[in-house]
Amino acid sequence: MVIIKSRRALAANGQPEPPSMLRMFRKGLEVLTGSSQAEEALRLIFQPTENIGIKINTIGRRAISTYPETAVTLGLWLGKTFGCEDKIIIWDRTNEELKEAGYRLSRSEGSLRIMGTDSYGIGYGSQPVINRSVASLFSKIQAELVDSTISLALLKDHGIAGITGGMKNYFGAIHNPNKYHDSNCDPYLADLFEIDLIKKKHRLTILDALRVQYHRGPAYHPQWNERASQLIFGFDPVAVDVVGWKLIENLRAKKGLPSLSEEKREPTYLQTAENLGLGLARLNNIEIIEEEV
Amino acid sequence: MRRRDFLQRTAAGSGWLLTYNSLRKGQRLLAVEASPAAGLSRVEARYYDRLPDREIKCRLCPRFCQLGDKERGFCGVRENQNGKYYTLVYGQVASYNIDPIEKKPLFHFLPGTMAFSLATAGCNVACKFCQNWEISQMRPEQVQSRYLPPEVVAETAAHYNCPIVAYTYSEPVIFYEFMYDTSLQVRRKGLRNTVITNGFINPEPLAELIKVVEAIKIDLKAYNQDFYTNYVRGELKPVLESIKQIAHSKVWLEIVYLVIPTLNDDPKEIRQMAHWLKTEIGPDYPLHFSRFQPMYLIKNLPPTPLSTLERLRDIALEEGLHYVYLGNVPGHPGENTYCPNCGQLVIERYGYTIKKISLSGNKCRHCHQTIPGVWS
Repeated sequence: MVIIKSRRALAANGQPEPPSMLRMFRKGLEVLTGSSQAEEALRLIFQPTENIGIKINTIGRRAISTYPETAVTLGLWLGKTFGCEDKIIIWDRTNEELKEAGYRLSRSEGSLRIMGTDSYGIGYGSQPVINRSVASLFSKIQAELVDSTISLALLKDHGIAGITGGMKNYFGAIHNPNKYHDSNCDPYLADLFEIDLIKKKHRLTILDALRVQYHRGPAYHPQWNERASQLIFGFDPVAVDVVGWKLIENLRAKKGLPSLSEEKREPTYLQTAENLGLGLARLNNIEIIEEEV
Repeated sequence: MRRRDFLQRTAAGSGWLLTYNSLRKGQRLLAVEASPAAGLSRVEARYYDRLPDREIKCRLCPRFCQLGDKERGFCGVRENQNGKYYTLVYGQVASYNIDPIEKKPLFHFLPGTMAFSLATAGCNVACKFCQNWEISQMRPEQVQSRYLPPEVVAETAAHYNCPIVAYTYSEPVIFYEFMYDTSLQVRRKGLRNTVITNGFINPEPLAELIKVVEAIKIDLKAYNQDFYTNYVRGELKPVLESIKQIAHSKVWLEIVYLVIPTLNDDPKEIRQMAHWLKTEIGPDYPLHFSRFQPMYLIKNLPPTPLSTLERLRDIALEEGLHYVYLGNVPGHPGENTYCPNCGQLVIERYGYTIKKISLSGNKCRHCHQTIPGVWS
């Protein structure tokens, strides 16, 4: 795992600075892949012919969603690197949520595509994909339009799941996430990720921890929202979320709040995911490199 | 409202007039006009508590979903918006149709009449064998819906000479506010309301609902909690409580039990269930054993063998229930009503069709035994 911090990540108005974002992305991927060149790192992860999806989370609208400044900066960089912006799709469930989070929708040829599953002609598949406890229709963006995906999720405390990060972001790829919030979303989140349409396409998690909602999430509550000015990168979808969880616990402890375990909402789905072979759920087993730009 | 006013008002949305005029008895229509997200209803929900930090707790069904801002309940149709809870499906009808009342099935409630039947998206359970999963397991923005407010539903039912409006197909509990308000309008027209439900509702909203409807059919999915956990994602106990609550009211009640081979067809359990029904609500409420057909997430099991259905019916009769029917087996004698006193045939059915009724008012024409139900 790689944590990239930057004091200049957020401008005085609290919004991300695109040049700083780009520096953080470049550094994160260089360190993660061991490449000296960030573009080379991208080429190690993605094939030039692939359509790449950037799954973001916009349920919290402008107050608490993946920042457009972050996602669009990443999308444009990917497009420039592979010479074709319209092979990059920034997406989430609905156009309405995307717009309210500050995104400008686009499906134009030659430019970055930004769209919701409810866009005209997209929608969900017609038959449920079944795996263990999960049976869901998949967004056609995830199922048909993209070959590989980046989960660019906002790190937040979650009243039921414990935390919401890169894995839970994929709840936005199915039609019925409301059915999978029982028992701390466990085992549903792990069972969902195990489906080939996600597991085989997922290449990278980038957790947006520029500002972290460490309590009473996933809704925005400014009194429990803290500037952390970091992005967390990893190929292992479970380990990245474990690192994010640790960050939330640290912030909670600093503010004198009980741990998630004390509040009976520890994200147990991460251990379930490890049991399914999806990644590492024990912090002791995860190598973490921190850098600052 | 005059008919012309009604038509002018409802024709405002393109396509509605055409759909309205083309609706015929027995025809199932999915509304053709997509309901954009912006067109979701935003009517404040009933039965919820406001909690600190803009959270809410829903009290409509036994799930008691506790939700933060922007989150939806398990049903997918009720959303917390800035600490206030809203139903998104008020008037947002995803499916409507004119059905025989026997299709619900309600066998002791105005036999041979038609019910204007409707549903919105959403459900508060997730049955793996759902027949209507394409609306029940969806969020409202994922289905095509048409806005039919309560007065339009009542007017439409009256226009088509349907004496009954049925809230059905998906799960009416989750569109409670719409159902309740529509029921009031329907009564004003002199029509009657029926609810086809899983019974997974809390006592307080059920008590209010009972005041405005005339009949309720409950799908009792099994008589063991494991089945409810593994195949329904619900709870048995609240459903049994609902059955008792309804039976002790003035509302007519019938119970349907879908028999799924190997999953909920244990004769011992059926005997226990029949015994419980007789003890708790008496022998006179009809119990229907329905034949399962493979669908949705359970496609690996065969249709229920007729011999299983017949055996379970015999068990329920042995336990002392008076009216035990078989469903989805057209032409079988188990579709008919027999007088529990003289054993004579009093209502002969074929599928959803009534062939003969031998009742004088509410009494058997042969021996004058009262046959419980709502007959006129």
